[in-house]
Amino acid sequence: MSNALVFCSFDAGRDGIPAGAEEVLTLARKIAAARGVDLDWLVVGAKPAAVDEIAARHGVAHVDQIDDAKLAEASPDLLVAALAGYVSQHSPGLLMMTQTFDARLIAPRLAGRVGAGVVMNVVDLEDTGGGVKATSTAYGGDTRVEYDIAGAAVVGVVADPLLPEPASSSSSPESRSVAVDLGGVDERIQVVQKASTEGPRLEDAQIIVAGGRGLQESENYALVERLAEALGGMAGASRPIVDDGWTDTAHQVGLTGKITRPVLYLAAGISGASQHMVGCTAAKTLVAINTDPDAAIFKYAQYGIVGDCLEVLPALTKAVKGG
Amino acid sequence: MRIVICVKEVLDPDAVDNYVLHGKLEIGDDGKTLTQTSIPRLMNAYDEQAIEAALRFRDNGVECTLDVVCVGADPTAILRQAAAMGADEITTVPVENGSVDGHAVAKILAAYVQSKGGADLILCGRQASDDDQGVVPALLGELLDMPVLTIARDVQLEGDRVRVTRVTPEGDEIVEASCPAIVTISNELGTPRYPTTMRTMKARRLQPDQATLESLSLSADDVRPVVAMSKQYVSSVQGNCEFIDGATADDQASALIAKLRAERVIE
Ligand SMILES: Cc1cc2nc3c(=O)[nH]c(=O)nc-3n(C[C@H](O)[C@H](O)[C@H](O)COP(=O)(O)OP(=O)(O)OC[C@H]3O[C@@H](n4cnc5c(N)ncnc54)[C@H](O)[C@@H]3O)c2cc1C
Ligand SMILES: Nc1ncnc2c1ncn2[C@@H]1O[C@H](COP(=O)(O)O)[C@@H](O)[C@H]1O
Repeated sequence: MSNALVFCSFDAGRDGIPAGAEEVLTLARKIAAARGVDLDWLVVGAKPAAVDEIAARHGVAHVDQIDDAKLAEASPDLLVAALAGYVSQHSPGLLMMTQTFDARLIAPRLAGRVGAGVVMNVVDLEDTGGGVKATSTAYGGDTRVEYDIAGAAVVGVVADPLLPEPASSSSSPESRSVAVDLGGVDERIQVVQKASTEGPRLEDAQIIVAGGRGLQESENYALVERLAEALGGMAGASRPIVDDGWTDTAHQVGLTGKITRPVLYLAAGISGASQHMVGCTAAKTLVAINTDPDAAIFKYAQYGIVGDCLEVLPALTKAVKGG
Repeated sequence: MRIVICVKEVLDPDAVDNYVLHGKLEIGDDGKTLTQTSIPRLMNAYDEQAIEAALRFRDNGVECTLDVVCVGADPTAILRQAAAMGADEITTVPVENGSVDGHAVAKILAAYVQSKGGADLILCGRQASDDDQGVVPALLGELLDMPVLTIARDVQLEGDRVRVTRVTPEGDEIVEASCPAIVTISNELGTPRYPTTMRTMKARRLQPDQATLESLSLSADDVRPVVAMSKQYVSSVQGNCEFIDGATADDQASALIAKLRAERVIE
């Protein structure tokens, strides 16, 4: 099947262009080239301004858009129906999404709807001659698994720090408007109360200071917050201390929390369990403070301080402020 | 009302993490199966929380039958645990370990639910902590034509409506749908209850009901994997940490900040 390979995004309302989209396009172009097919970008809903420029840099052939008033509040039934309509018109051999929170549901629903294979947590893809081999993380990142899918596939891709920066191979993508009839589609899920975290998000933070159980007591989380503030960054946390209510879920980093990609990630009193590290290994520089020199986190860190975070955190805050 | 809870048996992810940390995780001759028999097999933690979510309905006076089902090689132990927690019915659909993918599991679960005359609510975990895929509930939703409400920290039943508080990256979101529906439970729901010794003793003698592919009218073709696992290996981690020395915490702190500034990581 020499059908186009489609990268699809639908987060206009929430995220604009999802973080990591360029890594997915890099992977997508590799497969499209191996197959000798077009790489197209499908935008469902409003089209963020930067799409055309990014598409051009990644050699995208067509920027397709499904825009329907019903898609303003991108809800699962409508999104899946729109995507399934597109698939029945264009029969892409492979449809790729950045694995956002919404994509975790949309990708498998779509695959089920159109009879394609689905794989999530994908960090790499290889063409197998029409089919695809997907490499995914498992056990929270402890292992990697290779999956073979012979026919059409839908994959959710997570940004992998190991992926190369997108190379330039410019194109002038043709814009196409795709009509899908959503008249008969009723959303089965009603939003009673929207999520309403305002302000900066951990996913976008350039500097993150994160604390874990090594902080010992709830009050000590303030040490993390103070250093984060001094550095102009945000405070993160491991799951156990979120579970214990030291801070709220919005600060949780990891497999079941936020996937962050800051310039600096400073982890204090965090052991380095794989499920936490999945959320911060994309950091450019990782610093760890831990009393245990054998803590797993030091395997990931560029810089390490073996010491008591209750002493080192205030000392760092002082050093930052002291100029 | 009938509530079906789908539970999976997984290798203890903490034990796997520990073996990886010490460079001792063993992968079998097939190049994909984790072979250490010393790694405990547990109920997927999110699935335990799905049972807890259902038990809370009952605490709140909702009359319901809790039907716990597992597709797996020999999940008797985790199904007995489910019974000890308060499940009314426990059922296994035996398949060989590693022989089915998420698509096949969803087909088997859908056929099971249909064989029981449907369900008003299906509870799943948000993802299985072995493969981390989180696709079975969505695939099941497609097969049974039910809405799927994911990543719940709280589930409430109000008549034939289900109301779910979802943990989204933007904070909590409250959504509703009409039953029948599928809800996936996240760890934010809280710690599942511990069964009493009495209940555990009683459950020890229980034999789970068995459904088979034949009894569910599924052929071998129906459950042939679409997504075939061909290989599994331990992820590599770089491990070239530079330790910052210093006589005091202040010395270490100054040295680190100086380095980060020199590298323009911070201003
Ligand atoms: C399916 C699944 C999903 C998960 N998802 C996530 C997730 O999204 N995010 C997440 O974080 N976890 C997640 N976890 C949990 C994860 O496996 C770990 O249990 C967790 O990350 C450990 O948190 P921690 O490092 O804060 O605590 P611990 O593992 O208890 O580590 C505390 C560390 O602090 C050190 N320490 C103690 N005292 C001090 C001190 N005074 N100064 C400095 N260091 C000190 C100790 O040496 C130790 O290394 C998940 C687990 C599973 C099974
Ligand atoms: N073999 C299985 N038997 C019963 N339920 C399962 C099975 N596999 C997955 N599930 C359910 O689907 C959820 C997500 O699993 P997965 O898609 O494998 O990550 C789990 O938390 C279970 O609730």
